[in-house]
Amino acid sequence: MTSTPIKQAVRVTVNGTPYSAEVPTYRTLVDFLRYDLGLTGTKETCSVGVCGACTVMLDGKMVSSCLTLAVRVNDAEIQTIEGVANGDELHPVQQAFIDNGGFQCGACTPGQIMAAKALLEENSHPSEDEIKQFMMGNLCRCTGYYQIIDSIKAAAEQM
Amino acid sequence: MTTYNVIGKNAARKDGFAKVNGDAEYAIDVALPGMLHGKAVRSTVPHARIVKIDSSRALALPGVHAVLTGEDVAGHMLGSRVRDVPVLANRVVRFIGEKVAAVVADDEPTAERARNLVEVEYERLDSIFTIEDALANGAPVLHPNMLSYQGYIKPPEQPSNVFFANVYGVGDVELGFAEADQIFEDTYTTQRQHPAFFEPRACVVHADLGGRVQIWTSTKTPYALKGAIALAIGVDNDKLLINPTYVGGDFGGKGCPWDEALCYFLSEKTGHPVKMVMDYQEEFEAGNPRHGSIVKVRTGVKNDGTITAHHQDMIFNSGAYAGLMPLGYLAGTDRIAANFRIANARFDHRQVYTNTVPGGYMRGPGEVQGTFAMESHMDEIARKMGIDIVEFRRKNILRPGDITPMNETFSGVRAEETLLAAVAKAGYPLATGPYVGVGISMCSRPAGGGETHVEITVEEEGTVLLRTPIFEQGSGVHTVLALIAAEELGTTLENIRVVPWNTDAVENDSGIAGSRGTRMMVPAAHEASLQAKTELLNTAAELTGWPIEQLESKDSAVVNMASGEQIGWADLLGRVPDRSIMGRASNKEMGLAEYTTFAAQIAEVEIDPETGRIHLRKFLSVHDVGTILNPIGHQGQINGSIVTGLGYALMEELPIENGRVTTQSFADVKIPTMPDLPELETLLLESDEGEGPYKVRSIGEAPLLGVAPAIANAIRDATGVRFYDLPLTAEKILTGLRIAARSTIYDHHEETA
Repeated sequence: MTSTPIKQAVRVTVNGTPYSAEVPTYRTLVDFLRYDLGLTGTKETCSVGVCGACTVMLDGKMVSSCLTLAVRVNDAEIQTIEGVANGDELHPVQQAFIDNGGFQCGACTPGQIMAAKALLEENSHPSEDEIKQFMMGNLCRCTGYYQIIDSIKAAAEQM
Repeated sequence: MTTYNVIGKNAARKDGFAKVNGDAEYAIDVALPGMLHGKAVRSTVPHARIVKIDSSRALALPGVHAVLTGEDVAGHMLGSRVRDVPVLANRVVRFIGEKVAAVVADDEPTAERARNLVEVEYERLDSIFTIEDALANGAPVLHPNMLSYQGYIKPPEQPSNVFFANVYGVGDVELGFAEADQIFEDTYTTQRQHPAFFEPRACVVHADLGGRVQIWTSTKTPYALKGAIALAIGVDNDKLLINPTYVGGDFGGKGCPWDEALCYFLSEKTGHPVKMVMDYQEEFEAGNPRHGSIVKVRTGVKNDGTITAHHQDMIFNSGAYAGLMPLGYLAGTDRIAANFRIANARFDHRQVYTNTVPGGYMRGPGEVQGTFAMESHMDEIARKMGIDIVEFRRKNILRPGDITPMNETFSGVRAEETLLAAVAKAGYPLATGPYVGVGISMCSRPAGGGETHVEITVEEEGTVLLRTPIFEQGSGVHTVLALIAAEELGTTLENIRVVPWNTDAVENDSGIAGSRGTRMMVPAAHEASLQAKTELLNTAAELTGWPIEQLESKDSAVVNMASGEQIGWADLLGRVPDRSIMGRASNKEMGLAEYTTFAAQIAEVEIDPETGRIHLRKFLSVHDVGTILNPIGHQGQINGSIVTGLGYALMEELPIENGRVTTQSFADVKIPTMPDLPELETLLLESDEGEGPYKVRSIGEAPLLGVAPAIANAIRDATGVRFYDLPLTAEKILTGLRIAARSTIYDHHEETA
């Protein structure tokens, strides 16, 4: 085991803002976002890529930021939950989660919203089964999911 | 039914904007300047003497500040009520996952690497894992020093693995069994279930920030926690300050002390604030799951279906420590069976220590296990006696004025109405196909008691500031407070800000637990709102000369109802800048609520006889409720409870092999996901009977209690086979079907022989 971590430079655009940093090669993207950039909206829950809480968009694709190394996002564009609203104007998916009870404790919510938004960008009017299949990688313990499904359907109507 | 302006309409949650935007701050998000990160070294053996701990390699790693072991914090005992948990194991470890040392370093990965460099030498001791092990003659006593621990409900006379024993009931069961024509006896067993909250358990502690010990931690009961930490570290209660954060899910699991005291010692040692976060491998191995249980049930029945006696013998496996249960035992067992009228009932409740992960509270602690046994057993009795299940229940159902099997009475009992509404709604019993079945369960769940405080200020700008000692743990309690204030003051929900206090605000507060939130908070919010409203009206009357009796407060203005004139709050307060418009009230209601809430639930399943796979097709949940304050939030509680109950019934488990929890991650734990959802239907039987000024009832836990037995009864209906052990996995169903098929063949052979 090496006692001094190897560091590498990373230049990345997050929510439209460019950042450059030296990070240890073991740094995960979620830790980079949360600890180095102070963007704590993205949550880490399972740390093994099965719960969806840490979902962010990497060059337009959904990824689990707990399984992505920070050094791999060099020159990439990232969108996190902090970059979804336009100032105080919420994205329709965010508004729909408020209006339809799509969250309770809120810990899985940033990941749910990122995934729901990705779904609706890919399929603007998903059926209930399509919602369930797409969202099955985003776990939630509070809501029992029904009101998340309602939220996504409502958001689809708005988009 | 009374109609309201704000109450009873879907409310947009006060924490909505912050939570959908990533702004909501949880303990896991707190970062202080100079903050270090702690990680625990955990026991790899279930029961052993610690011979030696060598921290030298860990301390040599760059970035490591300190390592603490049990010797450094010897004598510091932790617990919600029973103080039996050492801050770090000292000399003895009692379960795999117990903290034996802690490392503190510049960042979490370094702390993790250093943790793996701490070498611990153990001398193994005999271990006990199961309830049977714990009760066996000659079993090692896990806590030989237990007589010196503080906080047992009934301190044991001599060291024993049975640390809690109690009996509840009514009448005389022996007499009741003597009156019975038939006696039925069964044993039901249940598994451990992890709460699986989504914000990892996290805390940040600064041992000296402004002369105080300052804490940010994921807790729903900050005042109880403050007391427990103060005792554990040995400082005055007033020295501690717990700062509010959002709580990212709890489900019972975040109502006990955790790493706060350890972080305090790490912070004290290093002079830096210290953060500790449990990862989920640690959480499943060493968290505080729902208890596994063995419940023996025995019931005497007359041939006409009248129950004459019922006895439950409940034993819970509490694992290595009792200190993670808020009340020191599973308080819910004394609430089960209250949907029945049984003249002679006895409930024995025991809890034992074993060398396994310590158990805690989870949504319906004790009730869920007892309800599974009771409701399965009653269904089985009806089937064996050939009595219609609904008729059997009606024959023995609790009616107004009846005493429950726990020797209690409730007002406004509507158990039978709830059952019949469910039966009518489901069209039960529907004609079913092969391997399709329908099962019914019932339960009763009153609100718990507690104490809380609310302060309401109408500010100069005409906005309203509501302060509460309650941290929002996810169920929407802040929104409930705000909608009471909006209703009584006459303003919109949007005009109210809810800002939780830190723990300096009041002497004591109960926090959230036991489905008590609305019962406890609403009268305080109501009273504080009325005080503030009176101030508003008085101020307006003085200023305008309008007769006070003509004034009403609505639309954020004081309105002269006689003349139609009005003055907006902002305008009013702008003219009397020194006037403080404030209401402050407390409510303390301990003990049992006057009303309970009944639920009747009906599950419809289809079984694949080739694989044993269970398809939960439909689920109906009928609830006897009072006034619903926020329908969307109320429904959210029902939905979440039912789906957690579904996980408990069908898939979730923390299996233990040789003392080790084999669930290593969220990938193993299998909580329900969207494709697991049944078609869910809810029916709410509203009434104008309930607690407090708006007649509310609790809803947080009731919908979970009957899920597993409803499904088990449906599987019995579909297959003819009774399953006694949770979770009801496909493997168990298939095995059960095969055994049943074989015994049918044997029966056939015997008949023809």
